[in-house]
Amino acid sequence: MNRYEPEYFKSLAKQLRFSLSDEEARAIADEFGVLLDQMDLLDKIDTEGVEEMVYPIEEETSFMRDDEVGHTFTVEQALFNAPHQANDHFVTVKVVG
Amino acid sequence: MMNFAHYTNQKNPTQAVNQAVEAAKKANAKLNAVVTLVDPGEQLSQLEKYAGGKMFGIPIVLKDNVNTRGILTTAGSRILGNYVPQYDATIAEKLREAGAVVIAKSSLDEFGMGGSNLSAATGPVYNPYDLTRMSGGSSGGSAVLVASGVVPFAIGSDTGDSVRKPASYNGIVGYKPTYGRISRYGIIPYASSLDHVAFFTRNVTDAAIALEVLSGRDDRDMTSLQLPVEDYASALNPSLKGKRIGILTNVLKAITNPDIQAHFATLVANLKEQGATIVDIEMNQDLLSAILPTYYIIANAEATANHSNLDGLRFGVQKEGKEVDEVMSASRTAGFGKQIRKRFVIGSYALFVENQDKLFRKAQKVRRLIVEDLKNALSGIDGLIAPASAGVAPKLTDTSMDQLSSTYLIAENYMVMGNFSGYPSVTLPLGYCDGLPVGVNLTCKLYDEQTTLNLALAIEQATGLADQIKEVA
Repeated sequence: MNRYEPEYFKSLAKQLRFSLSDEEARAIADEFGVLLDQMDLLDKIDTEGVEEMVYPIEEETSFMRDDEVGHTFTVEQALFNAPHQANDHFVTVKVVG
Repeated sequence: MMNFAHYTNQKNPTQAVNQAVEAAKKANAKLNAVVTLVDPGEQLSQLEKYAGGKMFGIPIVLKDNVNTRGILTTAGSRILGNYVPQYDATIAEKLREAGAVVIAKSSLDEFGMGGSNLSAATGPVYNPYDLTRMSGGSSGGSAVLVASGVVPFAIGSDTGDSVRKPASYNGIVGYKPTYGRISRYGIIPYASSLDHVAFFTRNVTDAAIALEVLSGRDDRDMTSLQLPVEDYASALNPSLKGKRIGILTNVLKAITNPDIQAHFATLVANLKEQGATIVDIEMNQDLLSAILPTYYIIANAEATANHSNLDGLRFGVQKEGKEVDEVMSASRTAGFGKQIRKRFVIGSYALFVENQDKLFRKAQKVRRLIVEDLKNALSGIDGLIAPASAGVAPKLTDTSMDQLSSTYLIAENYMVMGNFSGYPSVTLPLGYCDGLPVGVNLTCKLYDEQTTLNLALAIEQATGLADQIKEVA
């Protein structure tokens, strides 16, 4: 399978746990050419020996906090938005057969 | 003049807030900017506790990706169409303690992923200057509610110019501080290494006050800066004596609109008259041309990962299925708009093992080179300016721009440098083209909010365009 045919994008979507209609997959395939042309602009740039920049501020801002109870949720709050719940647990359809 | 002082000085904040609610209802009929109107009754009943606060009695709007306890928060997405947070974002707490009163949650491109506000689950937001044009995005709802005079302040978020571009299209101030200056705790993310809380006001003095309220270390956001909050407003100083301002010539060369060029030339001449030394700055053209693809790769890859928790199982809108996998797929297919699913697919493509070196890591390396080039550009100057967009707000149906042209790649997207670098960056009104606003952007050195605000005030005085309002009849 050509990886840039609409079916390729449908298979990517499936791995991301959603689906694309035929029309949506075709539209992405059509647009992908321009995106790849834009991405090719990166190849013009010599990045030999350059370290990846993961965050804009590279000085340390995180820390190990003391092991004390801080902000907490009640069970009721944690489950407030659950589509289904019972006995203080989230309820889903079966996970294993 | 409907600035902060107008509200904080008045004797009856309840009346002012209720007037703002009515104004929001009326304007929203034309602008489609509001996702949820908030009944301010409970906040008003508690308001006296916050007397003396820097934003006491000011009606405000929050972008609908700010978690607000007990108030629907959708992030502009169908999948969160029923989500009611059980906690407040840090900024929601800070604004409340400063005496501000939330009257609405505003529309955004889905999860902030867009620059047009066309992908909002509630539909497009319309520009108050011309209802056939877009608001810009992703903070479009917040922008138009400030521009149309409904509120003097609104929170937005800026991952790739999502406050600074709509500020340009709507003739207002859009301020993005240094990365980590304002806590992101409780903001529904888009791309964590690029996301900034940012905001709209109608003048620079109000922006300085708001920044004082919003800034400060928050242990709940591990990227929050460990720096003290400064007295930005009282230290405001627009003097340009001895200041050096750079003009980003790559952007000017990429702009073909003669009205924007003329407005910009007038501003530069005025800044010079006030005593500033003007310096032409040319950055590496290849690096600037690579900003958009670099952004697209990093932002979409981070978004794909960030939004994997939206599965319809623990919160959000659930669709039925026989197995968990089916529930997730059905919920995510129905819950995400097509633009967002497209971006997730692209992000996932960049993250595949076979593409990581060529795309994702390459983009992170190019990001560093762009930031180093910007740092060098700023090394001998106090601030860098350029028009904030290549044109006025596009028509809602306009998709005509060549996406490989320098006008698009550079003039329409260079402000993303502010997200790559985390440097403070602000858009201010520059002028009008056929009655439609255009903006000027200013970017300064990392952490230097005071210089950013001081130069912004000098620009505001030069243009004379503070407190612009376009009411919608």
